[in-house]
Amino acid sequence: MVIMYEETEYPLREELITAHAAQWERIGQPGAFWTAEDRVAFVQEARSSQSCDFCILRKKAMSPYAVTGKHTSFTNLPSVLIDTIHRIRTDPQRITRRMFDEVLASNYSREQYIELVSVVTSATIIDTLHQALGISLPETPEINSGNPLGQKKPHLVDEGAWVPLADTKFTLTDTGMPSAPNITRAMGCVPSAVELFFGTFRHHYALKNIPMNISQSQAEYVASRVSSINECFY
Amino acid sequence: MLLRASGDREEKIFNLNSITNSALLSGVEQGELLRDLTDATVLSQWEDLQEIRKRASKILGHQTLVDILTVASGFNGITRVADSTGIPLDKTTAETTFDLRKTTGIENFDYSNKSNRYDIEKDSLTV
Repeated sequence: MVIMYEETEYPLREELITAHAAQWERIGQPGAFWTAEDRVAFVQEARSSQSCDFCILRKKAMSPYAVTGKHTSFTNLPSVLIDTIHRIRTDPQRITRRMFDEVLASNYSREQYIELVSVVTSATIIDTLHQALGISLPETPEINSGNPLGQKKPHLVDEGAWVPLADTKFTLTDTGMPSAPNITRAMGCVPSAVELFFGTFRHHYALKNIPMNISQSQAEYVASRVSSINECFY
Repeated sequence: MLLRASGDREEKIFNLNSITNSALLSGVEQGELLRDLTDATVLSQWEDLQEIRKRASKILGHQTLVDILTVASGFNGITRVADSTGIPLDKTTAETTFDLRKTTGIENFDYSNKSNRYDIEKDSLTV
C-alpha cells in the first residue's frame, strides 16, 4: 500500500488517508477503457498544467478559444486529451460542451471521456489536499500494466447532461436531496469511474451530521465558495 | 442550496450573496477565516495559504483547520465533475432555488449560458 501524508504535522483522519492511498493505487491499474499507462499520464498532465505557460495565457483571455498556443507537456498523449486535462485542472469555470464535443470528434468515446474526467478529478482532490497542507505531492501511481478491462453495459438515461446519467429511482431523503443526486449519476456510463471518484471524495463531506470538527453550515459555506469560484452551476 | 437548508436547521439566517460576493459577510461562524482558507486553496495561492494556516491553527485548532481544507479540496474535485459533464440541477433543487440562483448570480453558471460566453473565437474579439 502507498504511504500518504506522512510528512504532515496536521491530524488527518485515518480513513481519509487509507482511502486516498487505495484510490491512488487504483489509478495505476488498467481502467475499463484506458490502460494504466494512460491513466497515470492523465495525472502527469494534470500536474504539468500547473506550470503551463499556455494555460496561464489562456486564463487571462476573454475566452479559452480566443488564444492559440501549445501546452507544456511531458507525456505522449494526443493534443486533444492534453488540452482537455489542462482545462479541467486549470480552467474548470469556462468548460463548455464544445470541449466534450471536440474529444468525441477525435474518435474517443464518451466512456473514455468520463474515465479521464474521473482520474483527473480524483487526482485533483488528492493533489489539492497535499498542496493545501503544504507538503510535497505523492509520486505518481505505480503502473500495473494490462489492457483496459471493459465493462458490462450500465443502465443509462438521457436527462439533458452532455452524457447519459445512471438510471436510478428518484426518491427524496430527509435532507431534501434525492437519494441519488445527479452528481453521483454523472459518470454513470462508467461505473468504475464513479467508484474511483467517490472512493476518493467520500471522506471529504457528508450531506448531514458531518463527522468533522466543523458544523454542517461551515462545511456548506466552504462547499459553496468552491462552487462559486469554479463556476459550478450544480 | 444546502447552506440555506443548514441555516434553517440551525435556526440561523446566512447571507447567501456572500457566496458570490467576497465583500459581504456570510454570518457563518468564523466565515471570514473559512473564506480565506477556501479561496487560497482553490486559487492555488500556496504562499498566502501558509500564513492563513498559521492564523487559522491558532484560532480554530489543527483538527478544525484540517477539516476545512478537507472539504475545500474535495469540492475542488467534485465541482470539476459537474463542470465537465454539464449535469442539470436535480429536479427538486431546480424548483426550490430559482429565485436564489437569480439573486446570487449563480444562474450565470448554467452550462448552456457558458457556451454563449466562453466559446468566443479570436476573430470575434477583434471585430
